[in-house]
Amino acid sequence: MLEFIRFLLSAVLTLAGLFVLVSGVVGVFRFRYSMNRMHAAALGDTLGILCVLLGVMVAEGLTIATVKMLLVIITLWLTSPVASHLISRLEVTINDHLERHMNVVDKTAVAREKEGN
Amino acid sequence: MSVLNILLLIFIIVCAVSVALSKNLLVAIVIFMSQSLAMSVIWVMLQSPDLAITEAAVGVGIDSLLYFVTLKKIHAIDVEKEQEKEGETNHGENS
Amino acid sequence: MAKIREDYENSWWPRFLRWLRGGSTRLDDQLQEELVESSEAHLLQSPEEAAQMERQAEERVQQALQDERNMYDHVHDWARLKGARLTRALYSILAVVTCFAIIYVLLRTTSFLPPFGDPDNPVNNEVSQRYIEAGMQETGAVNIVAGMILDYRAFDTLGESNVLFIAACSVLILLRISREKDGSQSAEQLLVEANDRMYEPKNDTILQHITKLLVPIVLLFGMYVIMNGHISPGGGFSGGALMGAALILYLNAFGFQKTERFFTFRVFQTVSLCALSFYAVSKAYSFFTGANHLWSFITPGTPGKLFSAGLIPYLNLAVGLVVCCTMYAFYTLFRKGDM
Repeated sequence: MLEFIRFLLSAVLTLAGLFVLVSGVVGVFRFRYSMNRMHAAALGDTLGILCVLLGVMVAEGLTIATVKMLLVIITLWLTSPVASHLISRLEVTINDHLERHMNVVDKTAVAREKEGN
Repeated sequence: MSVLNILLLIFIIVCAVSVALSKNLLVAIVIFMSQSLAMSVIWVMLQSPDLAITEAAVGVGIDSLLYFVTLKKIHAIDVEKEQEKEGETNHGENS
Repeated sequence: MAKIREDYENSWWPRFLRWLRGGSTRLDDQLQEELVESSEAHLLQSPEEAAQMERQAEERVQQALQDERNMYDHVHDWARLKGARLTRALYSILAVVTCFAIIYVLLRTTSFLPPFGDPDNPVNNEVSQRYIEAGMQETGAVNIVAGMILDYRAFDTLGESNVLFIAACSVLILLRISREKDGSQSAEQLLVEANDRMYEPKNDTILQHITKLLVPIVLLFGMYVIMNGHISPGGGFSGGALMGAALILYLNAFGFQKTERFFTFRVFQTVSLCALSFYAVSKAYSFFTGANHLWSFITPGTPGKLFSAGLIPYLNLAVGLVVCCTMYAFYTLFRKGDM
């Protein structure tokens, strides 16, 4: 019974993660603007990987491999949002027609960003 | 040979062909990166993790970094961006 | 680096080179003679004669220039009209012929290969059997691959690390932008540096904090991979690539001002030369002894310990340092032509 619950939990988590990853990939291909694409890709990188690895961890039990997977999750959660942040900052810096794609609230900040580079 | 292995090998072949066929240099480099990534997974499945680490660090990381820097130096990225913008406006008019 | 001598142009080597290239062109010599003659004539003779001589010299120079121009025109016309077409046709024919020749050679070679998976193939000879059976005892490395590439076939790996070094040297020759003589940055360097970080978000606080957290961990992992190369999978190449990637990340986050404090051109020279010479000193005798082992006081030690397997960990460290420095040098040279 306990074994079955564990299997069910891991299967649900893995499938949820795969769903998030697939929707991220679909988003990357469907969206036209780079910010939207970045949003979709970041979704898969963080939530999708988290769910898949949690599922694998539940299936694996408490071993050294589980700890390594935890480290993988931590590394990805540290690095992937930073990458997204850098992409968005780059977009703000080099795109001259930002208003065409989005609602710019603080125009002085954008100008400062452009000035700094 | 498992299904995953066959899929990865097909993926590598498709990537290699599309690198050779793609006109846009930036796209070619990104496809090349994904090819390296699949290659490193194949190394893991062939039970040589040291090669996988090397492939992931060199093929995915440093190689493509050098290519990107080169593209920036020869101002290929700017041109592509302008073309992309033109394409975007054309696309907007068509749709 | 040797200092350039003041009178370099007049020392014997450049003069020899000039003589080898055919010296200054005949036109120049002629011109110079004419000029000298005319100036002397100007001093000695009456103004009319001097003027006439000057005019003659002028005419001769004009004639020579016209001849040269005609020659160039002729050459270019020939290239445009006939030569280019001929060359192009020849090139395409040659390309096709070469391609088919290579295909033929490769297919011919492949047809002589033994059948795939045959147990009697020459690959499955007693050498690999012996490596697998006695490798751990003889080299002390648990990881057979490390024992093979750094002990039995160490001269091979020496060549590989030298290939990396030579690649770094070629990139240096091609891409390095020289500094001013007094060590300050030249105008070209400043221009390249200004263009280099044009579109980059500079001094990003989030990236810097994450980098501060990650770079030591990645460096430590790279060091672990290198130093455990004889125990677990890994080794100099993988660990060196990881450490190089960590250095590149640090450079991208903090810029050249920070990295110049610990990684200059001098450091690159020193580290890679020391590592390569250590490797060469410890393993190059294989070139003379025919890849046989010499007797050594360094024993393999207990297999599985960190400091075991004779010289393998130290050779791994040397290879790793060379790879790390080369990766970082590639990146900096590609970006701003200096370190």
